[in-house]
Amino acid sequence: MSTVFDFHGAPGTGWSQPEPISTDSGQIPERLRRKKPPNWPRASEPELVRHYTGLSQKTFGIDTGFYPLGSCTMKHNPRVNERIVQMPGIDRIHPLQEASQVQGLLSIYYEMQEMLAICSGMDSVTLQPVAGAQGEFTAIRCIQEYHRSIGERNRDKVIVPDSAHGTNPASASMCGYQIVEIPSASDGRLDLEALKAAVGHDTAAMMITNPSTLGLFETNISEASRIVHEAGGQMYYDGANFNAIIGKTDPGRMGFDAVHYNLHKTFSQPHGGGGPGSGPIGVKDHLSKFLPTPVASRRESIEGDPIGVGDGYCYFWQDVGESSIGKVQQWNGNAGAVVRAWAFYRRYGCELERMSEFAVLNSNYLRNRIMNPDPDVVARIHCMPKEGAHAHLVMHEFTLSLSPVKETNGVTGKDVAKRLLDYGYMSPTLYFPQIVPECLMIEPTETESKEVLDKFAADFHSVLCEDPEIVKSAPHTTPVKRVDEVWAARKLILRHPITDSED
Amino acid sequence: MVDQIPNLGRESEMLEELGLTSMDELFANIPQGVRRVEPLPLPQPQSEEQILEDATRLLGANVHLDSRPSFISAGLARNFVPTMVPMLATRGEFLTSYTPYQPEVSQGILQAMWEFQTMVSELVGLPISNVSMYDASTSAAEAITCAVRVKSKKASQPSSVYISELVPPHRLSVIENYTQGVGIDLHKLPHNENGTLDLDAVSSAAGSCAIYVEQPNALGLLDEGLLGLREVIGETTALIVGVDAVSLGVIEPPGTWGADIVVGEGQPFGIGPTAGGPIYGIFACSKEFLRLMPGRIVGQSIDSEGKTAYTLTLSTREQHIRRHRATSNICSNETLIALMGAMHMALLGPEGLEKLANRVFSATSTTLGAVTSIPGVELVSPDGCFFREFAIRIPGPAKEAIESMDSEGVLGGLNLGTWWGDMSDCLLIGCDEATTEDDISALSNALGKWIEGASK
Repeated sequence: MSTVFDFHGAPGTGWSQPEPISTDSGQIPERLRRKKPPNWPRASEPELVRHYTGLSQKTFGIDTGFYPLGSCTMKHNPRVNERIVQMPGIDRIHPLQEASQVQGLLSIYYEMQEMLAICSGMDSVTLQPVAGAQGEFTAIRCIQEYHRSIGERNRDKVIVPDSAHGTNPASASMCGYQIVEIPSASDGRLDLEALKAAVGHDTAAMMITNPSTLGLFETNISEASRIVHEAGGQMYYDGANFNAIIGKTDPGRMGFDAVHYNLHKTFSQPHGGGGPGSGPIGVKDHLSKFLPTPVASRRESIEGDPIGVGDGYCYFWQDVGESSIGKVQQWNGNAGAVVRAWAFYRRYGCELERMSEFAVLNSNYLRNRIMNPDPDVVARIHCMPKEGAHAHLVMHEFTLSLSPVKETNGVTGKDVAKRLLDYGYMSPTLYFPQIVPECLMIEPTETESKEVLDKFAADFHSVLCEDPEIVKSAPHTTPVKRVDEVWAARKLILRHPITDSED
Repeated sequence: MVDQIPNLGRESEMLEELGLTSMDELFANIPQGVRRVEPLPLPQPQSEEQILEDATRLLGANVHLDSRPSFISAGLARNFVPTMVPMLATRGEFLTSYTPYQPEVSQGILQAMWEFQTMVSELVGLPISNVSMYDASTSAAEAITCAVRVKSKKASQPSSVYISELVPPHRLSVIENYTQGVGIDLHKLPHNENGTLDLDAVSSAAGSCAIYVEQPNALGLLDEGLLGLREVIGETTALIVGVDAVSLGVIEPPGTWGADIVVGEGQPFGIGPTAGGPIYGIFACSKEFLRLMPGRIVGQSIDSEGKTAYTLTLSTREQHIRRHRATSNICSNETLIALMGAMHMALLGPEGLEKLANRVFSATSTTLGAVTSIPGVELVSPDGCFFREFAIRIPGPAKEAIESMDSEGVLGGLNLGTWWGDMSDCLLIGCDEATTEDDISALSNALGKWIEGASK
């Protein structure tokens, strides 16, 4: 297979640049001078355009096909957002420019802080954290400083349900907390008795997402908040599943003290092969003074103020003050993601709840289609999966357990996931949450049509009807066949050896 | 009217199949006590045309760096990004894919990241690179926690890490947040009068888990003395070096002088300063740190027919498997920006990189020469060799100088008083490949004019 290191143009004939403005470079002391150049490829633009176009064609994105990856909210990314972030007013801006030079950017930051606070029922928002996990870390740091500020330094435990995302315990652990994992109840929901047994004078916080990773709304969430608060702990809302509830309820009403938002899930920042993300957090008033610094703020314009954006306000960076935890990213977060998310939210405005309505409708519709095949199809299916959790209705995502199928003919969740690739789909999230055996987690999002959902359900049934050997050896039509992950971990070939280099 | 929902207007037929009559019934599981009934107090939905109009107006109100002579850097670069880079990286397949958990349909992005790892490895002189951290500061912070995990058992100062005092305060703040809860004591390493690291003081760091220094340092100084650090600290202490990635086109990479982990801002390769993000952090290390390092790694493998393939590997370090015992909480990273970086690096090639570094170096030297010839201007680290940035002391408050230069249409650098209180009469001046002779004249004139006025 060819790589970028197979390009061997003549030295110095690639992409051209202007000459240096002087020949002062002779001043670098000999000892500091690089002796051997890096073995980078020598390639021309025409070669590289074809190389990377070829690589893109071996990459599956939302633009390629249905991407029902549970917990990741793989919705369509509107293209105007990409056009906007190419503007020099964002791409060619330095984060340390004076506020008078970035009034437009500050106004967008301010509007986003306000919008996120409104949608979540929080009092203050920072846009600095650059990923969901960093948002979790930031919020737990704020909670940690809050407890220290009131002299409660003995609180060294954070409670997470066993269905939580792995980032929750990892983030709390990085702040120095011990993790107390509590088991889910038999219906997959939060077990209040287990929670009561877990809380105590050493509880710093509970981290939970609602709806849960099973796609179930935690109906006793208010009671859970009461239990944790009574023990002196804080309630943290993992916003990974925020797409399910906007305009219908919010973490503030449920009793949460802090929340993170995933702008790359709910607000369509493209996932870009794994990032960038953006993980702003919102907090109630008592945690505001611990937020990272600075946040966008504004006051009414007075004479002598810089020319603003024409709304009568002067925008500025507000230092959060002495209690602030400082910085979690060295600048003001992923501004490009904030601007994209702003453009996305403006598309919905006061109708953001339509987004959640259709996300939940699509999820329930697809679940119903999958679990209730037509009778002629039922007759051909070897074995049906079962629900990951028993519930009349789910929220924006749902889980299936392939355990019965595995027991019947040895076809695992992974096999089904790989076979779906042959049908032109991205696989659902596999083997998560871990409490559902042979789990497939499916989240269709609101940007898929009924026809796509119907077709996916039909194709899913086709897989269940197929010769198990075909499914077990899938995929068959992808650029490579099933990849040996154990081989990769054993050989650890983590870079090109560049043995055929001309140097 | 919203326009991103294909099923809008067709909800009743879908609800009917579910035996429901209204959208509200879908949310019946939300207890009444926490239901929101009032509409969100937000503006009316906008069309693409209206959004674009507002974005153009608001972002157009910003003063962008290319619109005037600009000398502000502080760890970010006003770089030139080849047109090919954003055009190819925003191809829908790259742009809209998620973390490549299914390698069979993700070979393209996986191979691109494996190539990225190779180019970073070559650049810094270490064998292993991950596929990116959030930025230079989180790379530095997680390099420190990683080094402590690896080194603390054999260290005579098992909880100590020493950091150069010439690390920018916003980066130091990130490091403090990442290290405060896990029992790491940070100590500062002082500097000599001329701005170089005090190597005598460094000897006290021998036996600690790690030291963290930057080359160039926060004031742009290239410190030859760092090449002898390994000898001073011995083998049991990790040497972590933060770099200006472009400088490695002309400067000896830290991997060749004993660094265990090299971190830095990847942004100069791939994307504009973009108001501070998304950018990406470089993280490269030696084999000793591999199994306890943070972030995603791509490895070469084979498929079931023996054909070369790529896949994420060593995932057992990561949060989705190891949970609270993971080496980091990082999940989303900056892959798309790292992809842009890979494209930019590949387009430059070895000679292009050297030329780019020489352009930045000569712009720095030329600007330094012009500015320090203004009466009243003093170089903070005299006799030094500088890359991209240098600090000057001026006869008066830097804040006023910046404001005065701004009124002359020049972004004249950073007021160092915002970083360190005792440097409120100092400016940090940043240069780049796009700095022109005209820019330098404009800066010299504007600064000279203010100094003349201030001394009257």
